[in-house]
Amino acid sequence: MPTPIGNSMMLSTPSPVRRWLGAAALTGTLLAGGCDSVLEVNDPDILTEASSPASAIALRNGVFLRMTQAFSAGGDAPDGWFLLSGLMADEWQSGDTFQQRNSTDQRVVAETNSFVIDLSRRAHRVRTEARTAINSLREWAPAPASNIGLMFTMMAFAENQLGEVFCNGIPFSGIDGTTIVFGTPVSYDSAFRRAVSHADSAITNNGGANEARVANFASVVKARALLNLNQPAAAAAAVASVPTTFVYQLTHSQNSAVNANWQQNINLRRYVMGNGEGGNGIQFRSANDPRIPPAPAGLPPLAFDGVVPTVAQGLWNDRASPITIASGIEARLIEAEAALRADNTTLFLSKLNDARATDTLLTVLTDPGSEAARVDLLFRERAFWMFGTGHRLGDLRRLIRQYGRNAETVFPTGTWFKGGAYGGDVNFPIPFDETNNPEFSGCTDRNA
Amino acid sequence: MRLGVPQFLVVGAILTGLTGPVAAQTGGTVSGKVTDATTQAPLSGARVSIPGTTLSALTSMEGRYRLINVPAGTQSVRFSQIGYAAQTLTATVTAGQTTSLDAGLSPTPYRLDEIVTTATGEESRRSIGNAVSTVEVANLVATTPIANMNDLLVAKAPGVVVLPGALTGGGARVRIRGNSSLSLSNNPIYIVDGIRVAGDVNSTSNGIGGSGPSRINDLNPEDIESIDVVRGPSASTLYGTDAANGVIVIKTKQGRAGATVWNAYAEQGYIKDYNKYPIAYRGWRTGTTATTNSTAANTVQCLLSQVLTNSCVQDSVTSYNLWEDPESSVLGTGSRNQFGLQASGGGETVRYYVAGEWEKETGLMQLPETFQARVRELRSISEVPDEQVHPNRLRRVSVRGNINANLNDKMDVTLSSGFITSALRLPQTDNNANGIGSNGFGGPGFKNYLVTLGGAERNNLGWRQSTPDESFAMTNTQNINRSITSVTFNYRPTTWLSGRVVGGVDFISREDLELCIRDQCPFVGTNRLGFKVNNRTTFFNYTGDASLTANYNFMGIGSRSTAGVQYAKENNTRNLASASELAPGASTIDAGALLSAGEATYSSVTLGYFAEQQFSFNDRLYLTGAIRSDRNSAFGNQFKRVYYPKVAVSYVISDEDFFPKGSFLNSLRLRSALGAAGRQPGGNDAIAYFTPTTVSADNADTPGIIFSALGNPNLKPERSQELELGFDANLLNVVNLEFTYYNKNSRDALISRVVAPSVGAAATRFENIGQVRNRGVEVALNVNPVNGRSFGWDFTLSGSYNKNKIVDLGGTPPNLGTTNSDIEGYPIQGWWMRTFTYEDRNGDGLIALDELTVTPENEYIGPSMPVGEFTFFNAFELFGRKLRIQTLFDAKTGGYQLNGTERIRCDNRLNCDGVVNPNSPLEEQARAMAVRVHAARTQAGYVEKSDIIRFRELSATFTFPDRLARTFGASRMSLTAAGRNLAKITGYSGIDPDGGYFGDNIGVLSDFQTTPPPTYFTFRLNMTF
Repeated sequence: MPTPIGNSMMLSTPSPVRRWLGAAALTGTLLAGGCDSVLEVNDPDILTEASSPASAIALRNGVFLRMTQAFSAGGDAPDGWFLLSGLMADEWQSGDTFQQRNSTDQRVVAETNSFVIDLSRRAHRVRTEARTAINSLREWAPAPASNIGLMFTMMAFAENQLGEVFCNGIPFSGIDGTTIVFGTPVSYDSAFRRAVSHADSAITNNGGANEARVANFASVVKARALLNLNQPAAAAAAVASVPTTFVYQLTHSQNSAVNANWQQNINLRRYVMGNGEGGNGIQFRSANDPRIPPAPAGLPPLAFDGVVPTVAQGLWNDRASPITIASGIEARLIEAEAALRADNTTLFLSKLNDARATDTLLTVLTDPGSEAARVDLLFRERAFWMFGTGHRLGDLRRLIRQYGRNAETVFPTGTWFKGGAYGGDVNFPIPFDETNNPEFSGCTDRNA
Repeated sequence: MRLGVPQFLVVGAILTGLTGPVAAQTGGTVSGKVTDATTQAPLSGARVSIPGTTLSALTSMEGRYRLINVPAGTQSVRFSQIGYAAQTLTATVTAGQTTSLDAGLSPTPYRLDEIVTTATGEESRRSIGNAVSTVEVANLVATTPIANMNDLLVAKAPGVVVLPGALTGGGARVRIRGNSSLSLSNNPIYIVDGIRVAGDVNSTSNGIGGSGPSRINDLNPEDIESIDVVRGPSASTLYGTDAANGVIVIKTKQGRAGATVWNAYAEQGYIKDYNKYPIAYRGWRTGTTATTNSTAANTVQCLLSQVLTNSCVQDSVTSYNLWEDPESSVLGTGSRNQFGLQASGGGETVRYYVAGEWEKETGLMQLPETFQARVRELRSISEVPDEQVHPNRLRRVSVRGNINANLNDKMDVTLSSGFITSALRLPQTDNNANGIGSNGFGGPGFKNYLVTLGGAERNNLGWRQSTPDESFAMTNTQNINRSITSVTFNYRPTTWLSGRVVGGVDFISREDLELCIRDQCPFVGTNRLGFKVNNRTTFFNYTGDASLTANYNFMGIGSRSTAGVQYAKENNTRNLASASELAPGASTIDAGALLSAGEATYSSVTLGYFAEQQFSFNDRLYLTGAIRSDRNSAFGNQFKRVYYPKVAVSYVISDEDFFPKGSFLNSLRLRSALGAAGRQPGGNDAIAYFTPTTVSADNADTPGIIFSALGNPNLKPERSQELELGFDANLLNVVNLEFTYYNKNSRDALISRVVAPSVGAAATRFENIGQVRNRGVEVALNVNPVNGRSFGWDFTLSGSYNKNKIVDLGGTPPNLGTTNSDIEGYPIQGWWMRTFTYEDRNGDGLIALDELTVTPENEYIGPSMPVGEFTFFNAFELFGRKLRIQTLFDAKTGGYQLNGTERIRCDNRLNCDGVVNPNSPLEEQARAMAVRVHAARTQAGYVEKSDIIRFRELSATFTFPDRLARTFGASRMSLTAAGRNLAKITGYSGIDPDGGYFGDNIGVLSDFQTTPPPTYFTFRLNMTF
């Protein structure tokens, strides 16, 4: 600062040098005071410790959130695997402007598709954090054991789902404390075997009031993985004791992740229901099947992009609507498939009709008369019963892999309704971000 | 006690002072008057100093000064003022007596003797080894159309690229010498009267789709005296961690001794949009089914791609531009009103500057009468609420009180305090399904478009889905109450020793409100059910700064030693509340059926020590060495302290005897600096942590914990090192040339390293593994060819070139995005896509899919930031220099921009020329085909050069004759008419390459459904009493 003009009031002060020394002493004090405490900050938003019985339960609860984030819930983006995998299949069509969704619907998914990157990470978080929760539960809250069993089941569910959506060469990495442990890519069959193994661990590490529920959930997940491994008989055996009335649901709420199927199909209309998409697709809307009721009236006539007509379902018409991810119905469908593969048409129809008997609006099925038609019937039943729950892409892949169908006869094909032609993807590529894993070098193949 | 390096340096510096000479404590007084040598007018604010001592003074309003305690004997007295050639006179001082010494300074663009503010205090420009740009604000705001702080910086300093906002109250992006950081903010930091203040961009918790407000725009330009732009790490070293992107040092106006001088001003203006907006097209067809027959109530079309495959036949193509139809367009006329009063004066002991201002700017967006009538009818009301008619408005009141007091002849204290209260409305725009852009640019190519929503059919008047009344019903308001207060205490116990203590706080209370009253908003999601958001955030930025400076001068060798300590703390807390599904007519949180709440905290502390030693030789050669050491709460626990060193040399070679005299080269200074500064990571980036959250488990909300961050205990600041070389030359006393070359390397660059998804952890983790380089040159040419009594002419040409390059990604894979990627050897966030060529081989005037050739892999297209910027400022003073006419042109070159608006029109809205119109240019058809039909879905055709020359400012200021001014009771009166954003030349096919919104860190501009910068016309009356 400049010296002021003229003399101002003169105060009685010590000598300038002493005053200066005082200032120097003050500065020195400040310097000496530069200890760690000055740098301490407090951020109540985070927790650096989670080591207590209550924390173990909270970590368990956190895995529920990770499950919904990966599969069934979503805000604006991404959407959850149930939606995105159904978009590649024939359950949903894009009513959106985002290339991430449009290219998925068109079956030309890039490795840099940010939705796939994010959802891949979310699915793996279920595994990683379930493992963390298991370790914490074992140390701090081992009873009831069903909590541990549930975590194993969720790990198995995620592993199976990863195998159903991704190409061959899926890495399963993890963390040890805060150290990354990179995993070597494995085939999707290996992913399914991991799922079977962890489902078995769930059944073994079980107990308490929720034992039966967790066991049923684990059994269905195990059977689903066994189906993917083309072991229908073993799958049927796994779910034999699961009652038809059993359901396991992911739930949503206003204060947690909202139901993505509601959000994207009814609320934002970035997805419209598939209705005979690409020629091969099932007419999910026109069929007027009671298992997929129509949407509430009054929705805007056009989807989010302002061009595609709105086609919406009424299964999930609220942000908090739960989504069933495993059920006794699925158990019966698995048994039906096992019967079909065993050439027991009577049992096949019986199992399908056992499931249909739970809905009074459904009629009894009769034999369609041919092997191919029975397969069509089975997968159509599965498609309607488990619409929007992440089963359809895996089923289409199984039709190719296990039933010898051609990809162009099961996936939407031909001219894509928004312009251009459908691509040839039958699964999702492992995202480019995985190249940060030194063990990874890309999909082994893109086969079904 | 064992001393660490910083303590040693500080003590060393103090000891240097202790061994200095004991100056005479009983000196004499030097006083006099400083005038303009041409006009003889007194010069207020000129600096008078005794080189090599702490003695200096500013002249009063009458040009008078007085230096006391001047050591007896022969003393050199230096007089300097911005825009004038400095003068050094000799005074013979006798103890106890007053020596009279007057000076007349000649106008010149010579700038070496200007005073600039540095981290260690104020210094003469000639002693600094860096180029520092100074913007003299006080005169600018009175004579040019300056609406906010960012306008002040646009095209004012080479190397500083400012992207101004397009909306009233919208934010701006400031980049100094390019982007240095791959993952952290590239924004400069701001210092106001010695303390750090918040300068965040996109400062809002309620996004509008476009750029949010910039906090630096809270400051009132009318209160600013000058701005020094410290451009690179070599200059900003002593500002420490966080200063690597440059520092903008702002000084507010201070009182000057003399009778109270009142300045009153009033500004009125209007805002218009003269830009050309894109036209919407529709291809009509006739068919037998609902999906093949075009009607006014559907979106069925026959597109060119379908024509080519014989899928349909176009009956006709219609076009409509709703932006040009007064019944439909929201582009109205905005207005600007500003009134202010300033008082400055005081005595020898206390001086003051007090000011107050009221400002209102209403943006040009407004609800057309057609829609107002519709709203009145629908709601049965007589008048549409003003916030829904004028959704973009800023009201602001600012007051400032600055007081300087001399406690005695060795001590003074300055209190600098400003308070701002503002209310800003922002419309829903840009990347926003509820917004004006999304619905306006996406509309069908005809006006009477019938849409059924909520069970009722209405005519959308060319809008896609939501109409403006619905978009504007979604109100977004930000209320700011902000106080910036600092106290500076100076103590000069001897003529060779001075101390300075600065303390202050920047406090901001920010309230972000968003409201949709039930049944008024767009049919997007659940908005129609109503919602309210009320987020309240408080920001505290504390600064404490203490330093000692010792001066020594012996036989022409000067020494200046400074040591100090600085403490900076940032602490932000936010409470968030929202409600949806509101009761009809309700507008409060508690009226919602679904409630949500949250809180967030951010804290960061920096403790830094610095020391600087400068030696000068005969006031012409200056050697400076400095070091700063910082500790920061955000560093990893394995990393304790960072050191930023600096060396600089400044050599006024023209002062040497051997330098040829009388040549055309009047002065020449060579300068060079090498220094480093840093950029701190985020507050929690070093920590592994969990986050508590709410979980829905088995149909019940329950508390949960999720693992959120891996952390990095070795985390340290990003370090930017810069070498700067340059010279300043004065030619023929009328030309001042500055040239600077810089080479800035950001080592230990913090990369938000992607964690492989299969790990199942956080998406990224910060690691110090990258390197980014920015190299460039900056040139400024100030010319004052005519400086007569009746006519004056001056102009400035300046330019800069910056080459940005990612040198090293630390072994990580490239960061690939859909359109922008980080790849070694190329600029940060360059444009990378599959490119294409096309040829109308069959000559049918249409581009078919097989006439398009797309590359198999992504290719580099260009940088996302301009690499060159040039400005031309010219001013004439006519009629006895009573009329000043000035113009400002600026140009940006070398950058590329994604025309995202056209991309979505062609890709999704299906209303662009290239998709519908068979007479459209082949290029339009090709890029539409590439993005919409080809499997690559490449947007490369919409990435275009963003080169632009803009006629930025034109103003004419007439200073009334004194006699006329006196009839109004004023001593001086002037009237300014000005225009801003008057014209542009660009090959960019979008509306304006400067239109768009940007993200926080890198700041890539997204021209996506955005409105462009409008044109301002203002008229301003200034009166001095």
